[in-house]
Amino acid sequence: MSILRKWVLAIGLLIALILDGVASLYLHQFLDYGSFNAASVILPISVMLIGLFDDTNENEIWLAIGTGIIADIYFYGIIGIYTVFLAFACWICQRIARFLPEVFWARLIVILLGTTLFVGYGWFIFKAVGISTASIHALLMCMLTNLGWSIVFFILLYWIWGNLAQDYPFLIDLNAYRV
Amino acid sequence: MKKFLQNKKLLSAFIIVIVILIVLGGSVSLRKKRNAPLLIQSLGNDIVALGTRIIDVPVGWISGGLNSAHDILNTQDENNHLKREVTDLGQTKARNSTLEKENRQLKAALNLKDTLSGYTLVNASVISRAPDTWSDILTINKGSSAGIKKNMAVMCGGGVIGRIVEANAASSKVELITTTDESANRFSVQADATNGKSVHGIITVTNNNSLAFTQVVDGSKLKAGTRVYTSGMGGNSPKGLLIGTVTTTTRNSFGLSDQIKIKPAGDISDPSIVTVIERQVAN
Repeated sequence: MSILRKWVLAIGLLIALILDGVASLYLHQFLDYGSFNAASVILPISVMLIGLFDDTNENEIWLAIGTGIIADIYFYGIIGIYTVFLAFACWICQRIARFLPEVFWARLIVILLGTTLFVGYGWFIFKAVGISTASIHALLMCMLTNLGWSIVFFILLYWIWGNLAQDYPFLIDLNAYRV
Repeated sequence: MKKFLQNKKLLSAFIIVIVILIVLGGSVSLRKKRNAPLLIQSLGNDIVALGTRIIDVPVGWISGGLNSAHDILNTQDENNHLKREVTDLGQTKARNSTLEKENRQLKAALNLKDTLSGYTLVNASVISRAPDTWSDILTINKGSSAGIKKNMAVMCGGGVIGRIVEANAASSKVELITTTDESANRFSVQADATNGKSVHGIITVTNNNSLAFTQVVDGSKLKAGTRVYTSGMGGNSPKGLLIGTVTTTTRNSFGLSDQIKIKPAGDISDPSIVTVIERQVAN
């Protein structure tokens, strides 16, 4: 059971990855605002929350890289979108968490900035490799639409990842420190 | 240069950026060139697809329940529409049956086996969609074990919605026809003009994400409402798959060819069950 406890966060992220694809499929009609769509950002928000809640565990950056590779291969067949962003987001959130007030609103601001950056980064990479030709206007509209949905996903995920990241840090068995 | 090499943080950042660019470029190149994904990639995709199918079941029940409630509210209108359709259906079926028989006899007389319009169908469910806004990629629950191969056409709701870009053993990725991917294969299509001749061209996507029938020489002879279907000339799709209907005809920005806007016949916004088209004629 102690092995399972060490991997709870990884299993949780795999479920978040799957839910991201399923939510995108079923919520696609609601994610649209006119001809502009919001992205489903369950996975990026999950990784950023893990970084904000547990800023001392270096293993979580490796977890973010692993999750990113699986997500990239599963969704696009191209490595470099989730892999880079999730690793960077986890690392920067752990650094920010050291001086950020541990309150809901402060973390919400970080997540909104992060998801906006994620949408912009995805747009840049897809444009660079020729998969998308979306304009900057489309990007800005998508970022705006995305902010609303990011708040919804953040509220739904905040307590789940808060509890998981604090009780089950990746590859660390907290029971070993308990008497 | 010496200062740069001595600054470990700067050097590490530089190496990381180079590694990212190499991995990104390599994976993009592999995606375009390979007809089948690497074994490890296929295995990983199928494992995640299995998890997706498990989670998809309860989510599908909830979504199905909500859709059923919506359907009940529209039942009366739908019933009236279907009654009108049914009156024509009997005659159409009888005519199709006669034409099919005649077609078989003519093919036998000419000793033809596979033609441009020959194809078989593989039905599949959509289990996932890429979460971003920029790539139009769906994941379906059938793969190479069901006979699916890269570049096969995919239909939903009576029209073509895209093509297969990656076929794993038990799942596949579908790129929607509305994609702006510059390297995506385009459908070669045709339509019947008012003068009785066939007009040929390809399907592209305009800036506002709508479909257009481009590289057409004499598109002004196409009236609004004309059906546009695949010509079978591209080598990947059979002839006769409906793409959509003509809405407007304009000259392109250079004034050299006609640009014809098309209303897609397929259900692009909310596909749940799709049909993969396996072309029978030798490629």
